[in-house]
Amino acid sequence: MEDWTGVLRLGAEERNGKTVAKNVYFQGAYKVMRPIYHDESGQVCYYILNPGGGYLDGDRYQMKISLEKQAKLTLTTQSATKIYKTPNSHAYQEAEFNLKEGSYLEYIPDPLIGYQDARYKQKNMIHMEKGCTLLYSDIITPGWSPGGEKFSYDKLQLINEIYMENELVVYDHIKLSPATQNINGLGLMEGYSHLGSMIVVDEKTDHDLLDRLYEAVPNQTKEYKIGLSLLPIPGFTVRVLANGTQTIERIFSEFHNIISQEWFNKTPSFLRKY
Amino acid sequence: MNNNNILSLFQLCDSNFPIGSFSHSYGLESYIQEGKVHDQATFLQWLQAYVHEQLIYSDGLASRLVYEALEKEDLQKVWKLDRMLMVQNLPRETREGTQRIGERMLNLVESLYVIPMLSKYRERINKKQSFGHSAIVFTIVGHHLGVPNSTTTLYYLYSTVASLVQNAVRAIPLGQTAGQKTIQEFQGALTKATQKIQSLDEEDFGIVSPGLELSQMKHERVNIRIFMS
Repeated sequence: MEDWTGVLRLGAEERNGKTVAKNVYFQGAYKVMRPIYHDESGQVCYYILNPGGGYLDGDRYQMKISLEKQAKLTLTTQSATKIYKTPNSHAYQEAEFNLKEGSYLEYIPDPLIGYQDARYKQKNMIHMEKGCTLLYSDIITPGWSPGGEKFSYDKLQLINEIYMENELVVYDHIKLSPATQNINGLGLMEGYSHLGSMIVVDEKTDHDLLDRLYEAVPNQTKEYKIGLSLLPIPGFTVRVLANGTQTIERIFSEFHNIISQEWFNKTPSFLRKY
Repeated sequence: MNNNNILSLFQLCDSNFPIGSFSHSYGLESYIQEGKVHDQATFLQWLQAYVHEQLIYSDGLASRLVYEALEKEDLQKVWKLDRMLMVQNLPRETREGTQRIGERMLNLVESLYVIPMLSKYRERINKKQSFGHSAIVFTIVGHHLGVPNSTTTLYYLYSTVASLVQNAVRAIPLGQTAGQKTIQEFQGALTKATQKIQSLDEEDFGIVSPGLELSQMKHERVNIRIFMS
């Protein structure tokens, strides 16, 4: 099963206050653009490209990203990940992240779009050492379908495993199967079409931060539904149900701003997509 | 398995079994406050979603897998499932409540039975190597009593539902008769859920449904409350 459609390897290390690539390797339908430094902090930003334009039947993608001590990396995509119909076998992506002590990872991919009859499984495994910071988010959206129905994809499954010092500390498993579920019903998507998730891990997290995040976004609205909670380790998770990508992105970037200001005294860069 | 053993496991299913289940609604209270659950029919909708979209993938599947591990004396697997149950529970109140109930059930069951596996579980919890979960304690007892695997799972699901119905009767409120009718109408769903659990894969563990989970997280912000989760 080593026949990957796309492979990406990226190792980042800190050199004189600047994070640089120790190694970059990509093959097949994965590509990264040249690194970009958005500000003076030394944090490097890489954009992942999918030259194929989308994930097709049986496609398999794998990335392995490592951050050495004190390395600071933003990883994002150049555009949305589109999952097309998969008549024979589901599309699959797995990503492994290794964060050494004191490193900082932002993994903020663009939304995932599930088109008609798409089946997709994604697995992120994040290994952290003490004193690392992780900021992760994803957005699941339904793609346009000829019949106009909102949920024409078959299955979108996302798994996040976070390990702290080799111990499993967070297990996040979302599986939306409109083909077999009462997807609009109570307890499921409840009339919304988009689902956003955010996970932040950092020792500085506390109840007060969660309060401030809650207060930063209005909650008496029908536009979206939001929940936040502290993780079993210092950190928190956010879920948002909404009807548009922008709504979720606005909330996540607000939270990203607050965290960056409070913890690192900086403003996160706007991730320009070319 | 003789009838005495069935009765013995039944004792743990009583909604009055004092392990604190009456303090937890697992997000139901958020829906009640939003007016989305307000009568027997809407409560049944919630219960269907909670059991079929969340409980079978966590407690239900764990019960089956723990039983299988006990048969193979694979203790590492049991401890792994204890951790999985803990870390897949992202809403803090639900996670902490579940742990509290697990520990209370363990305390109570330890005074009723002497089961070496329970002592080992207790020891690990004391050393903070394990967390404690009622599905695991219940399954250890079911296995000890020689109740078959799927029957143990079915009884566990029943005990959870019986407590939830009692909580709904108090909180919505529903009449006691409506409560009993719900339990009766739900019997088929419990059998179906147990069958589904037998067909699940280990990879299905921990699947959560967005709306349910969100309501469990939102409960932290519910000001006037009768439940801790």
